Amino acid sequence: MATLAQPRTPVTPPTYAEITRDVAATLGNPSRGYYILLGFVLTVLAIGVGALLYQIRFGLGVAGYTPPVMWGVYITNFVFWVGIAHSGTLISAILYLFRSAWRTAVYRTAEAMTVFAVLTAGLFPLIHIGRIWYAYWLFPYPNQRQLWINFKSPLVFDVFAVSTYLTVSTLFLIVGLIPDIAAVRDVATGWRKKLYRITALGWRGTDQQWRHYLKAYLYLAALATPLVLSVHSVVSWDFAVSIVPGWHATIFAPYFVAGAIYSGVALVVTLLVPLRKVFRMERYITGDHFDNLAKLLMLTGFIVGYAYATEYFLAWYSGNQFERAAFWNRAFGDYWWATWTMIICNAFLPLFLIFRKVRRSIPAMFVLSLFVNLGMWFERFVIIVVSLSHEYEPYAFGHYTPSWVEWAILCGSFAWFFTWFLLFAKNFPTVSISEVKEIIPMPRKGRAHT
Amino acid sequence: MDRRRFLEVLGVTGGGTAALAGCSTDQVEKLIPYLVPPEHQVPGVATYYATTCRECPAGCGLHVRVREGRAVKVEGNPESPVNRGRLCARGQASLQGLYNPDRVRGPMARTADGRFEPITWDEAIARLAERLAAASGDQIWFVTGHETGTFDRLVDEWLNGLRSNRRVVHEPFAYEALRRANRDVFNVSALPTYDFAAATYVLSFGTDFLETWVSPVEHARGFSAGHGFAEGRMGRYVHIEPRMSMTAMSADEWIAPVPGSEALLALALAHIIMRDRGAAVPPDALRLRALLAAHTPQGAAARTGVAVETIERLAREFAAGPSLAVAGGIGAQHPQAHVTAAAVNVLNYVAGNVGRTVRFGPEPTVAFGGGYGDLADLTRAMREGRVGVLLVHGANPAYASPAGLGFTDAMGRVGFTVSFARFLDETAMAAHLILPDHDPLEQWNDAEPRANVTALQQPVMQPVFDTRQTGDILLAMARRMGGRVGARFTAGSYKEYLQQSWQALQRRLRNSQPFDVFWAEALQRGGIVTESPPRPVRLGIGAAGAIGEATIWAAPDEPFTLIAYPSPVLHDGRGANRPWLQELPDPVTKVTWSTWVEIHPATARRLGIAEGDFVEVTSAAGTVTAPAYLYPGLREDVVAMPTGQGHTAFGRYAQGRGANVYHLLSAEPMAFGGVAHYAAVTIRNTGRHERLAKTEGRNRQMGRGIARATTLGALVGSETPEAAHEEHAAHAAPVPERIEHILDEWQEAQYAEARRGNYAGEHPRWAMAIDLSRCTGCSACVTACYAENNIPTVGPALVRHGREMSWLRIERYFEGGEHGEPLETRVIPMLCQHCGNAPCEPVCPVFAAYHTPDGLNAQVYNRCVGTRYCSNNCPYKVRYFNWFDYQAPQDPTFAWPEPLHWLLNPDVTVRAKGVMEKCTFCVQRIRGVQHEARLADRPLRDGDVVTACQQTCPSDAIVFGDLNDPTSRVHDLAADRRGYRVLEELNTRPAITYLQKVRNTREA
Repeated sequence: MATLAQPRTPVTPPTYAEITRDVAATLGNPSRGYYILLGFVLTVLAIGVGALLYQIRFGLGVAGYTPPVMWGVYITNFVFWVGIAHSGTLISAILYLFRSAWRTAVYRTAEAMTVFAVLTAGLFPLIHIGRIWYAYWLFPYPNQRQLWINFKSPLVFDVFAVSTYLTVSTLFLIVGLIPDIAAVRDVATGWRKKLYRITALGWRGTDQQWRHYLKAYLYLAALATPLVLSVHSVVSWDFAVSIVPGWHATIFAPYFVAGAIYSGVALVVTLLVPLRKVFRMERYITGDHFDNLAKLLMLTGFIVGYAYATEYFLAWYSGNQFERAAFWNRAFGDYWWATWTMIICNAFLPLFLIFRKVRRSIPAMFVLSLFVNLGMWFERFVIIVVSLSHEYEPYAFGHYTPSWVEWAILCGSFAWFFTWFLLFAKNFPTVSISEVKEIIPMPRKGRAHT
Repeated sequence: MDRRRFLEVLGVTGGGTAALAGCSTDQVEKLIPYLVPPEHQVPGVATYYATTCRECPAGCGLHVRVREGRAVKVEGNPESPVNRGRLCARGQASLQGLYNPDRVRGPMARTADGRFEPITWDEAIARLAERLAAASGDQIWFVTGHETGTFDRLVDEWLNGLRSNRRVVHEPFAYEALRRANRDVFNVSALPTYDFAAATYVLSFGTDFLETWVSPVEHARGFSAGHGFAEGRMGRYVHIEPRMSMTAMSADEWIAPVPGSEALLALALAHIIMRDRGAAVPPDALRLRALLAAHTPQGAAARTGVAVETIERLAREFAAGPSLAVAGGIGAQHPQAHVTAAAVNVLNYVAGNVGRTVRFGPEPTVAFGGGYGDLADLTRAMREGRVGVLLVHGANPAYASPAGLGFTDAMGRVGFTVSFARFLDETAMAAHLILPDHDPLEQWNDAEPRANVTALQQPVMQPVFDTRQTGDILLAMARRMGGRVGARFTAGSYKEYLQQSWQALQRRLRNSQPFDVFWAEALQRGGIVTESPPRPVRLGIGAAGAIGEATIWAAPDEPFTLIAYPSPVLHDGRGANRPWLQELPDPVTKVTWSTWVEIHPATARRLGIAEGDFVEVTSAAGTVTAPAYLYPGLREDVVAMPTGQGHTAFGRYAQGRGANVYHLLSAEPMAFGGVAHYAAVTIRNTGRHERLAKTEGRNRQMGRGIARATTLGALVGSETPEAAHEEHAAHAAPVPERIEHILDEWQEAQYAEARRGNYAGEHPRWAMAIDLSRCTGCSACVTACYAENNIPTVGPALVRHGREMSWLRIERYFEGGEHGEPLETRVIPMLCQHCGNAPCEPVCPVFAAYHTPDGLNAQVYNRCVGTRYCSNNCPYKVRYFNWFDYQAPQDPTFAWPEPLHWLLNPDVTVRAKGVMEKCTFCVQRIRGVQHEARLADRPLRDGDVVTACQQTCPSDAIVFGDLNDPTSRVHDLAADRRGYRVLEELNTRPAITYLQKVRNTREA
């Protein structure tokens, strides 16, 4: 990790005042482009909501489900979005504990992404169940019918994992924001001033506040760190505890965690590139940051590639005919295209990151991150759909194709995510003012004005 | 939304649900409780009425379960010698005829603009009387279906009273070829009874005796008795036909000769038996010796494509034991089919089977009358304008006749057509007046399905619609017209007429009871069974002539021979308006709701045809287009299509589905008087493609041992499986004791789950055994399950998505059939295995999948939130999800349009949208029997609980009972050496034991 923390490009460090000014500038009056983008995203969201209402009215049959494939795009989306969430916490909490200074410029974006991704992910278990109006039955609440939930079921683990993760990551984001909100409160006007005044929770920047603040932040980071590993492990158990060939594997927890970080970092890159451009943050988010993110991508990508190889090896080595048939079907069955998309995007494309030139090229990183996102979505699709389509009973094999409703809801989920993100980016600092200030050299006397 | 609006919406949705749940009709406006309840009518307690099934001419006895005045389930009548309590899928679906939403709801007349308009019964009868009075005697023609009892006589007498003898019986499957052969060879035009149970060797020449032929349920029972493995013995069955039918799937050997050459094979067998004196050849058969001498095995081999050794072997096997050869199936009805049937008659006679396994009844001409020839005469008469009034009852000749006959066009030249149809079928659509008959379940009637059996039909409930029994109309008409015809009938109603007829019957039987007692007893038992010795038959004078004209039917110069075989599900098309039957996968192809063209995979490869490609099939008579189904159970020069689809009318479920194969058949009556179901055709790929609506994923079991089979030799010859197990253990690598201990503990821990709920064996452990050596794949159990458990039908679009809801399905797998290996077919009924250690249970987050103390794997519908994890984790894939709302009338997927929902079983929940459902082992029946036992203060006995599938199984393949009861049948069968549990290696501990199929490969 130490190597990751070394900035390579010496740039003229900005002054404290410049930092506050530059970051606060991103919160200025939105341009026409912003409104067009927001309008577009809201339209797509409305389409997704419409599709969901249509599904609730007529039943889940409007999705493309074809038994035996009882889980499809919705659960794929769920795992995809939960996975996305992980890199945020990794960057903000784990790298914080490791004192990786480079994280300061990018962690806020990653953290916001985490919260919004969990918000998105949490919708899908609801969207996918048959009777959404009874979703609350999944919670252990006291009732006169003496009904209780089945703590053996991994779906119940999920409920706890996801809700815990949402709570902790939201807290972490809010706590991290406090000093920055206070900073922009001081320059804001109008209704936003009122908003910031409330959300800054009376922050005045006193020593005592700083002392408490840093403690709280440290403890929250420590609390969030195990969640990075545990939440996606729990999600992986949705599959691993079943007896479905292709799901039932002990490798799933580390495999899923690595995959989650992989996809999350890729989405961070995808988000940072335009953000950096639009908000003119080139001074703060530099090639070094992309280089470091690329190394993280490369590491997790290699783990994911290794996991693929292990899966195939074990399917062969186990001698279990059902496993063998399941993996043969993945690679050469009806869904070969999905499997090869996943393998090429996730295991082969990251090999390009070996070259420093690629790592530091922002367009290359952007394109690569899109491919990794695509590949990781297909990884979940392959694991879920392809395994289910080809289980034990040959008579009951089936072929699933998603319907327009599922695509609409998938697009709607991206719109939901970006709605939050756009609103956040225009109202809260996407680069941490206080933490960036921590890593620049101490200002010399006479030049310091804050 | 304000509070008012909210309440409004709530009221409307709540009211809608209540209306559906209450099954109310428009007529009921006031709810008045019974002050003086009708006798025998206890709310919640079912009444059973005995009657007779009229879905096909077999005439099986029925017990109809009636709840609160509504028929909710039909089952076989155990006292009927025809079906002994069992039923086929068509019989099970008869309820959907009764409650069909497309029934004609009252009399209708055609208006000037060609539409039908409801009229009153008085007016309808007046119109008919007027027309009849205007027509002269022989201008009045009456077409009926196959009728054997009192109604048959009534129609004849009535016509006679009108000075007409123009009676036409139209039964599409009338076995003209078989009757002609019986007349030729034995001087008897009746159909005999076939004793499959007594035959240790069965040879079928293209006869689908387990599907549609004559009396399939009776045959299935006999066949499974003779061919099912029991105590080290079983019969052997060889099927000879160019196509492997459902019946042939049960065969130990399937031989596909050149189409139409079966007669030569039969004669060659007779030749060998005669030559070798293999059996006690009756002396009078010796006069055929010279004739048979010409049919050498070598000659037959050259023309049939069957090896000489095979022919010799078949002859040896056939001569060895009590054997039975059958011919005359509709699917083997080529232009010379009567020669095949005659040759098989001779073969049976030569082998001494006639009088032993083939028995003719006391009367020479009972059973089928009429035939296609008569229909052709009628059509000619219609075209020539010689038909003044045409009355049609119980037949649909406009659909079930070759298009070349032009029946519908000819009907246009008839002065006045009256249809007594229950549905607006193709013939009724061309009629002027429709006087809807009662459904058979609402009627008084009787039938003589076969010798010695006279079955009664009684109404099991009030008529659903404003219909009238045709017998009553005829009598009313006679009374109204007076004169000669009026004087003939003294009965005031058809019921009275029927009773008069039964009084005569009682006199004939010299029964001395008071008539009331005789009648009541017959009603209660569903009819009477008489005893009479079989009629001995001798080789008739025409026998030599009948086989002398043995000319092989050679298809004209076309590349393919089409076999139009009778659909075992839809029959001649009369089942097409029953959604249960439409959705029942064809036992062979597993296709639903459509027509298909069966093509051999090698042929398809050669022609570049893939499954689902629309293929144009052209014969001299016409062209039809249907999607291809690649079927290895065919000769490469044969294509096959089922009958039954392609209706242009006949209600919402039948209309516009698939293609009518009759359009390909020649309208010319064959020498035997029937329609040839073979045609020479060409096929062409149209380039259009559609996914077939079939329920099957893959047709090979990939070595997974799901449907297992063994051979008789292996079972009789080898040591017991226990010994084999020990031997296997000896070869296995030694396991250290410590490890073994750990493994044992682990296994114990695994199995501890399985005992959960079953507190130290206090409760029963419900279990099932299914004998695959008896299961024929007929799928009657599937429809019975739909009927018992309120399973919705979903339609072809959803079947294409694999969303059929059938809790019980028959999986059909192919083995071999490639690289010169013989094709073998295996079937296995797959339903919830009620695992002791069920994978579906722990994954449910809300305990909707739950284990009952008596070992049932229960599904709590109202607790289910629909995560569907249980289905993902079920290795058997027997859980079904409610993707849509099948019970909401306003939804497009509504499965029970009024009054179809009257057949819902009040003991079973109708499941809501978004919940999982599956087989319950008929828990409502288990609980019902338990309650009864408790009321009677007695313990449950083995056999008290009968599941719906078990109840209907014609071949008695299913046994249900308590595994914890050491005296139960299922307890024994669970330990049977043929027993295995599917996917047992997953440690699911299923409650269903399958007994391996046994193939008798013993070759004499």
